[in-house]
Amino acid sequence: MNKDQYAVALKNALTEVRNICPDVSHSFIFTKDGMIIASDPETEEKAMEKMIHSFQSIAEKADTIGNLKAFYVDGKKGKVILSNVNDMYLALAASKNADTAYLHSITRVIIPTVLKLLETINPTPIQSTPSRQLVVDTLSGFFIGDSVQIDTELLEEWAKLLDQKGVNEVEIEAFGGKATQCKVKEINDPQLKGKGMVRIPEKVCKTLEVKKGELVKVKPAST
Amino acid sequence: MSAKKKSKEDKDDIEILQEKLQSIKGREGIIGYILRGSSSASIDLKDPTKIINYAILSATAFEAGQDLSATFEIGEVDTILLEGENAKLLSIMVDSNRLSIFMEKNVDHNELCKDLNLT
Repeated sequence: MNKDQYAVALKNALTEVRNICPDVSHSFIFTKDGMIIASDPETEEKAMEKMIHSFQSIAEKADTIGNLKAFYVDGKKGKVILSNVNDMYLALAASKNADTAYLHSITRVIIPTVLKLLETINPTPIQSTPSRQLVVDTLSGFFIGDSVQIDTELLEEWAKLLDQKGVNEVEIEAFGGKATQCKVKEINDPQLKGKGMVRIPEKVCKTLEVKKGELVKVKPAST
Repeated sequence: MSAKKKSKEDKDDIEILQEKLQSIKGREGIIGYILRGSSSASIDLKDPTKIINYAILSATAFEAGQDLSATFEIGEVDTILLEGENAKLLSIMVDSNRLSIFMEKNVDHNELCKDLNLT
């Protein structure tokens, strides 16, 4: 998962924590080096920087107790919790009445689980649809239907790339800007196979405002 | 109440607290404590060679607590707890005195506060 997706997912998790527990006034996650990974929308950067500064000043003097794992400040009107989660730190500020058990479940269960999930999930990559420039050949006659024709090899290549059984429809875009979506079949004329052509019914050519011999961009239609 | 009388009561409270600290310092898992007043400090640590390190950590914890209190508007600081891999530090404001108790990780600090009448 890339860093942006990771940060967005964590930001959403922190926002949801705040929605569920309105007693949590601020929350953010940062690394030991002080890099902010994600924060809820309400927390100002200045506050985060101050927190990180306090954390770092303690962390560098905490050898006597081992590496700093958690830091709690209990005030008359609220509390601040800083907790080590994997190789990062989660900081929370909450009102005095905030349920301590719930805060602990956020720092020890919810956020670590979200982080673990994010590290193990591999989202399906967004596949860029392959586009090809093909030469227009017009199809005319009464029984040609509305389908365009393309080389079998190209249709198979697309199907393989998209991990589909086959490609049934394509998007065609003329360089003039007109575009349309049509059903697609294999080129049935052996003389025209393997020549980088797209055979387009005349009616569709009119829609696209293209003529025989011109180039068009063709790609599988998104399903 | 006169200032003199108040001062004497505070002094008595600190003496009582010091007696309690003496009674808990031998407990299993207690590493020691630092009690710092405006003009004096009592320090009792199992490993005296680390006094400076403990004192610096204690002072930094109080300072960070004050800073975070101001940043996140959580009011006057009552307690600060630092948890490390091996040990933890509980810092408490007792009137104008700063008490820091160092203990092993498995010590129940809430129970300790109750025993010291600090809750």
